[in-house]
Amino acid sequence: MSKYALFLGCTTPVKVPQYELASRWVCKYFGIELIDVEEFTCCGINQVNLSIEAGLLMAAMNLALAEAKGLDILTLCAACTGALAEAIEKLKDETTRNSVNEKLRDVGLEYKGKTKVRHISRVLYEEIGTEKIKREIKKDLSALRVAPHYGCHYLRPKSAFGGFEEPDNPRTLHELILATGARLVEYETLNLCCGGKVFPVSGDLSRALVQKKLDNLADKEIDAMALQCQTCYLMYSDQQKEVNQKYDKEYNLPVILYPQLLGLALDADPVKNLGLNLHSISPEKILSKII
Amino acid sequence: MNKVKKMVSTSELDPGFKSDVLTHPDARGLNACFSCGACSAGCPIHEVFPDYSPKKLAKMVRLGMKKEVLSSPYIWYCATCRNCVEHCPQNVKFFDILNVLKNMAAKEGYAPAAWIEQTKHVTETGIVFAKEDSWAKKREALSLRPLKKPGEKIRGIIKETGIGKIKPRVNSK
Repeated sequence: MSKYALFLGCTTPVKVPQYELASRWVCKYFGIELIDVEEFTCCGINQVNLSIEAGLLMAAMNLALAEAKGLDILTLCAACTGALAEAIEKLKDETTRNSVNEKLRDVGLEYKGKTKVRHISRVLYEEIGTEKIKREIKKDLSALRVAPHYGCHYLRPKSAFGGFEEPDNPRTLHELILATGARLVEYETLNLCCGGKVFPVSGDLSRALVQKKLDNLADKEIDAMALQCQTCYLMYSDQQKEVNQKYDKEYNLPVILYPQLLGLALDADPVKNLGLNLHSISPEKILSKII
Repeated sequence: MNKVKKMVSTSELDPGFKSDVLTHPDARGLNACFSCGACSAGCPIHEVFPDYSPKKLAKMVRLGMKKEVLSSPYIWYCATCRNCVEHCPQNVKFFDILNVLKNMAAKEGYAPAAWIEQTKHVTETGIVFAKEDSWAKKREALSLRPLKKPGEKIRGIIKETGIGKIKPRVNSK
């Protein structure tokens, strides 16, 4: 039985709480204990725009909070994963670590380099494993055609993830989807970014990226796109309507977060355990194909 | 759009700009750039908006076009996917260089209001959003634990970094 500090990040707990709900359910199912750390804040990734040092310090503060409890961190957001993993890499340098710790000391913290960070998909893949997941499946998802979307920060910087994935040819989410019994759909723009990090500055640029992927998926007879980051989720679901208006399209692609897909295969309650009723694009198409 | 169209004469260049950028450890690879364009070729933003070009921006830094680079709205258009870093044959970390440029631009008053507001929100809510009353209800309906207000630690950290004092670009969108 493993134990992690659950790092919710900014967006999931207030805008996509169904991701948190489903993640907690799936972790409980597989005996992964999640500890809430009240003082966790934003990981600092967007503060890097204004100050690289400030972003690093915020990441270090969060790492130190988990370390003080003797815990590794489990993330839901791809961007938090990338930001915290990159901070761990940077803080391996003694000079950097000392200067960061000097500032952390003022708020009663210190990061010694012990706490590690892992995304929920990586924990499911490496700790539980696809074989065990397959053995637990209770529902038949074989009629579902699912396209994966990874999230840039889940893969890059490659140097921060110790060779876990090949960023241009990732596999974990592919295999996790297959483990649910769903059918996997490959497509050309797999690695195209959702544009979420440019959204606060330019909605138009981010929607141009969303449109490209939706267009690529439009003729692939897909029932759902499965993702592992709430920002990617918001871009492809909530922005889908805006994209339809702007580009005069009628995309209607349901989007689902991986723990929800896995939860469905494990016979979790779609509403009570997975919050699928909160989706802006109806998941009816998904639910109707599950036996 | 603030296109760089006019010719820049050598007298307007700032020869110290590149050195200033290079002093940041994250930017040190810039000297190894041989302008192959792999960064732009793999950039999703460049693909939908060709005027945004990592290759061009890297060249402008090396030429010393300080004012043009730091005042350009384009430097804020990065989607942070880091394809440029992973694809560079010279191990130039354009994404990190761009962050150094954004930090310099922010100090000179060119940061978009969006990023400055986010910092303000972090000191108030601990996250990048301003508090909304609907949050608590939404979470309660799902039986998720209530969110706590951020403690003194994060406010201390933000104060320590000085980013709370950065002023936004005046005509910021």
